[in-house]
Amino acid sequence: MLLLTSIWGFSQENEQFISLFNGKDFTGWSMPGEVPGFEVTNGVMVAEPPNGSYIFTTEEFANYIFRFEYLLSEVGNSGVLIRCTPENPWGTGVEVQLLAPWTPYRDDLHCTGSLYGHVAVTNRPDETTGIWHDMEIRCDRNLITISVDGQVTTEANTDTVESMKGKHISGAIGFQSNHSKKGEFARFRNISIRNLDLESEYVTVGFFIEDTRFRKSAHEAALRIGTPMIELLTQLLSAESQVAQSGAKQVLFELVAQSTAPGMPQGEKNAVGKNLEKCLRNCSEADVSQYLEWLLEMTKSEE
Amino acid sequence: MSHKTNLNRRKFLKATGIGLLGFPFITNAFSETAPNDKIRGAHIGTGNMGGSHIRWFSAFPDVETVALCDVDELRLIDAKKLLQSNNSFANPDLYTDFRYIIDRKDIDVVTCATPDHWHALVAIMAFESGKDVYGEKPLSYSAKEGQVMLGALRQHNRIFQLGTQIHAGENYHRIAEIIQSDVLGKINTVRLWKTGGTKGLGFPPNQSPPDHLDWNMWLGPAPHSKYTPVKCHSTYRSFFDYSGGVFADFWCHIADIMYMSVSPEKLTSIDARGEIPDDGIADTPKWIDVDFKFINLDVHWTTTPPNVPNAENMHIGAHFEGVNGTLTCDYENRFIKIGNETVTDLPEVPKTITRSPGHQRNFLDAVKSRSQPESNLEYARKMTLPMHLALISFRLKRKLRWDSTLEKFINDPAANFLLARKYRSSWNLPDY
Repeated sequence: MLLLTSIWGFSQENEQFISLFNGKDFTGWSMPGEVPGFEVTNGVMVAEPPNGSYIFTTEEFANYIFRFEYLLSEVGNSGVLIRCTPENPWGTGVEVQLLAPWTPYRDDLHCTGSLYGHVAVTNRPDETTGIWHDMEIRCDRNLITISVDGQVTTEANTDTVESMKGKHISGAIGFQSNHSKKGEFARFRNISIRNLDLESEYVTVGFFIEDTRFRKSAHEAALRIGTPMIELLTQLLSAESQVAQSGAKQVLFELVAQSTAPGMPQGEKNAVGKNLEKCLRNCSEADVSQYLEWLLEMTKSEE
Repeated sequence: MSHKTNLNRRKFLKATGIGLLGFPFITNAFSETAPNDKIRGAHIGTGNMGGSHIRWFSAFPDVETVALCDVDELRLIDAKKLLQSNNSFANPDLYTDFRYIIDRKDIDVVTCATPDHWHALVAIMAFESGKDVYGEKPLSYSAKEGQVMLGALRQHNRIFQLGTQIHAGENYHRIAEIIQSDVLGKINTVRLWKTGGTKGLGFPPNQSPPDHLDWNMWLGPAPHSKYTPVKCHSTYRSFFDYSGGVFADFWCHIADIMYMSVSPEKLTSIDARGEIPDDGIADTPKWIDVDFKFINLDVHWTTTPPNVPNAENMHIGAHFEGVNGTLTCDYENRFIKIGNETVTDLPEVPKTITRSPGHQRNFLDAVKSRSQPESNLEYARKMTLPMHLALISFRLKRKLRWDSTLEKFINDPAANFLLARKYRSSWNLPDY
């Protein structure tokens, strides 16, 4: 467990970030409203038309590090909606505020970097308008951390914030359209994400969590990762934790099952089989070997 | 007798010797005088349903219960008390290993109320030793076991009754008569349901099995596993290693009335959906819905009652949709709807089906007459098979196509692999 925790993330900030905005058009984004609220100008995403449609990623994300640069006009007002559905972004998700420090003065619960109305900043960021700032939003299961220009502004444990009970733990990421007056704007560029749910070690840690929502989310992520999860899941079969052990047993089965579906490429099934064989060779626990042998037989079964 | 099974048994006796597990606490074996005209019975598995077996069979004047067996000594002692409270003359031999009962030549019938993963092997070994079997439901743990059981029964000319006691009731017989009378027209859809599903059971730590329980024997042909109380006794059906949850538990009780009435033939596809619990180590369905396609008949299983009149308050039920009307029923009730009228009986339908003298009596009569009882093995196997196939579809999360002649899935080797399970260590499912 300790080993796993140290592997993921912190020790190696390896650049597994992928760009979400191509600088040309809104591929990978959707604006569900009737009037567009965003346009692309000179490679930058601009929110200028007042009260137009929000813009959302078409992909959903649960655990991630989301980075972008923003620039606000003098009284610009926008925000980032995280873990939300485009149909009901405020009900399902929360907003990380992006706001010019215009009067009336907004408090720490409603300024840039706050989880608007839910969690206040503890370290108020630089709110200078007209210049580019960096923002990082880290969603790590129940922990949400906001940083502006490299400084942590806000740390939230969603388990302890009463008003965030019932919020989704996965969803689209959206930008709020400009809802200041005409002529004001917000600009965004260098928008990228590191999806932690694609990283085996991060996902493995989730198998130990008793909170059903985060554990199920880890199980689903493991299934999406597929074959590269097999070795780690096999290690979990010997874990002290019954939570991790039973989850790994189930997910391994589902992973093998999905590789055996008619129409799956033979290579996928072979890769699963090879990984199981390798784990079996290294396995010293009889109950685990017995299970792996059974799964292996299933992958090798033929007409 | 199967060579393999026989070999294993001898090996076991040699290896463990007498006096360790399984040795009778007190033995009357072989010291009996010649058998009288009574049927001499033994009960294997004396927990919840086993207790019912003891009470039911000890009430028949032509049955003498001579032995009891359970891998849990506490249950065994309770079982003896229960038997003696029903019949003060009873003096049963007590065993923790059922193979001592199999080996006795003076026992005519056994009843089996073990966990599901033992049902097939206990029955097969009983058949091989010339005993008839009253076996608890579900019939088998795997589809393959059902085939082998039937083969063994036929080869050894034995009698078998599945313990679906609701089958014997007036209601099911009357429903079969009404539907077979064709008053509802051709039945094209049957809806079956059972509310409730497997609970998660939390994440209890493993522990040493208690001294009074032979956990290794409880596991028997199932994969080895460390012990935790929830895997054993009353909640074992929550685990695919031993059973298939509430669905496997109740399928046969309610699919029974469908098979009695319309006898679905030529299953072609099985499509199951559902979820397992997420709050514990249990891994059988929290809910499961299944669509089966038979020739000229659609069958739908659901975990909630279907949206049809009279179903909402039935925790288990069947709903037959015919061209001219519908029939909705559970164990005790039936509602026949033709046009806008709902009735509970149709006096114009004649009584054509012979009524059961009671499910256990029906079995004992069959033992004497040597003709198979109502819930015989051929019938029970046919009725149980779709349950096994549905659980494979559930586990693989995909729709499966079935060849009912070959009894194999079409183009899905992994699904076919799951039709059987290799037994653990010294246990073997013989070939028939």
